[in-house]
Amino acid sequence: MDNKNIKVMMAKPGVDGHWRGAMIVSMALRDAGMEVIYLGNQTPQVIVESALQEDVNVIGLSILAAGHMELVTEVVNLLQEKKVKNVLLVVGGTIPREDIPRLKQIGVHEVFPPGSKVEKIIKFIAENAHNS
Amino acid sequence: MDAQNKKAFFTGSGIPVKEVYTAEDAKSLNLEKDIGLPGQEPYLRGIYSSMYRQKLWTIRQFTGFGTPAETNARFKYEYEQGATGFSIAFDSVTENGFNPDNPEVAYDVGTGGVNVCTLKDMEEMFFDLPIDKLTTAVIASPFPACPLSAMYFALAEKRGINLQMLDGTTQNDLLLFTVCCNSPGTIPPRHLIRLCVDLVEWCAQNTPKWHPVSFASYNYRENGLNAYQELGLLFANAIAYIEEELKRNRLKIDDFAPVLSFHLAAHNDFLEEIAKFRAARRMWHKLARERYGAQNPKSLMLRFHVQTSGSTLTYQQPLNNLIRVAYQVLAAALGGAQSVHANSYDEGICLPTEQGILLSLRTQQVAQHETGVTNVADPLGGAYYLEWLTNEVEKHSWDYLKKIEDEGGLVKAVESGWVHREAVVAMNEYQKQIQNGMRKVVGANCFESEEEPHQVPLFRPNKEALQIQKAKLAQIKNERDNEVVSQILQELRQVTEKGGNVMPVVLRAVKAYASLGEICDVWREMYGTWEIPFGKIA
Repeated sequence: MDNKNIKVMMAKPGVDGHWRGAMIVSMALRDAGMEVIYLGNQTPQVIVESALQEDVNVIGLSILAAGHMELVTEVVNLLQEKKVKNVLLVVGGTIPREDIPRLKQIGVHEVFPPGSKVEKIIKFIAENAHNS
Repeated sequence: MDAQNKKAFFTGSGIPVKEVYTAEDAKSLNLEKDIGLPGQEPYLRGIYSSMYRQKLWTIRQFTGFGTPAETNARFKYEYEQGATGFSIAFDSVTENGFNPDNPEVAYDVGTGGVNVCTLKDMEEMFFDLPIDKLTTAVIASPFPACPLSAMYFALAEKRGINLQMLDGTTQNDLLLFTVCCNSPGTIPPRHLIRLCVDLVEWCAQNTPKWHPVSFASYNYRENGLNAYQELGLLFANAIAYIEEELKRNRLKIDDFAPVLSFHLAAHNDFLEEIAKFRAARRMWHKLARERYGAQNPKSLMLRFHVQTSGSTLTYQQPLNNLIRVAYQVLAAALGGAQSVHANSYDEGICLPTEQGILLSLRTQQVAQHETGVTNVADPLGGAYYLEWLTNEVEKHSWDYLKKIEDEGGLVKAVESGWVHREAVVAMNEYQKQIQNGMRKVVGANCFESEEEPHQVPLFRPNKEALQIQKAKLAQIKNERDNEVVSQILQELRQVTEKGGNVMPVVLRAVKAYASLGEICDVWREMYGTWEIPFGKIA
């Protein structure tokens, strides 16, 4: 799959404003040829609506303030409510190891904690963006 | 080994370095004029003659989570374990000036810090703690800085503490939530600077021991900028505040420069960081003396807090972080810091556990009581490499400051997105260096382990915090005199419009139990909100 056909939305659900991680990953995905929309801080509601409007293949959520279980659950519920399918959901940030399987259980496709290799993130998205 | 294959060597900030330094490299220095003695101008070697013999640096751990009552318990624990100051970490709801009952912020209440909404919360957070004997840092972004400081001042007054004697700091740094963090709730920087300086102005006249701003280059550094960009932005920010106050024609430089304070980073390059702390003192002396004509020695001394670099900590092999933090604390000590926060080793994973905090305190106590570095002021002064590097960092920092001034000064450089673009370039470059192995991160891009070698305990925030904080606010709104509150908020609108100092009215508002969100809404309604212009920067 050509990376040019992959459209990613990167967002920070909630009001925690630490944006370095989300920005670095956004730039790396763009450098890899993908189209990236950097949404910044938004409510789960706006994130899902924007993803629908923009017809993205991938939603990236960056969460660093410990509210990941609640925030991701809300995004997943909204995606289901709006019957959004075929969107790859990836989460990055300070997610404790034991929460990674819990997030995957509710519908997250992959979790990238701090220090994740950018090449790995690109590879995962490139391989899975159209198969989710 | 890799090291021997390298063709060129650089500091952490990319300054090229030679194999060895000799007297030749320091020969342009005038020993008396450029270096001097600790406690004497230009204060390169420290602001006190006997430095840590006179007073050890304050051990001040940045702390806060959940409800004010939970944070109170953590503060008490730290105090019992030998902390000598407090520093409040607020959640992003508080930092944005929102109330916990705002449905859009529900999942952030009490997660990354403590939620504080009214004076009642401040009372709970410091219950049974002797705030007249300890110093507190109110780590508030500029937008809620006036009301949050006012809550602390009101608490002190209620306890009968003379505000003239109250000692502590408010962060109140313009860049904190306009550059370093995105803040959906804040107002445009050109209006925000006015609130920042109102607090400085009011404190200079009413709370002379309180530092109403701590220019936080720590946070600029955490966004990927290097050591000299850190100092360039630090002083550009201080200049913006000074110019804003001076143009009001109310105070002279020596009336308020003594209350300004600074908050620097201790990153990984050990000697470069020490050089940076020393360079910062000499730069500030020059700025205050030559550009602004300050005379009072207190105006000329750069007082600073150091925080070890959170962004250098790894998620992988987290116990390694203890070693990183210890070196960074040592750099702060050798650089002459007035207070230090040692990050907890588990911060890459979660909010600090009690164990993490205890080890941070002990790291500092070992440095203070076992290493011997507190015996002698500026013990590395005069070393060829260090003096050369101090000059080099200073030179690059002046150049960077000039670049910011060429952009029209700091406030313009923030509103235009220039500062953010600088950060984006820097963080991207930093990341590339990690990817290509130019920058080594032990445990993350070299010496990796397949499996985590050790298990560490995990901190979980209290899920009840949201309900507790909401219920408390509802009760306060029931019990307080709402007519008085709306009348004071109306006055706040008027004094803001007229350009008067907002602090006296803000103090009355918090004493009447007006909430943070209500106070900040007054300003949001007047000026609208502002966010980082992400579209323009990447």
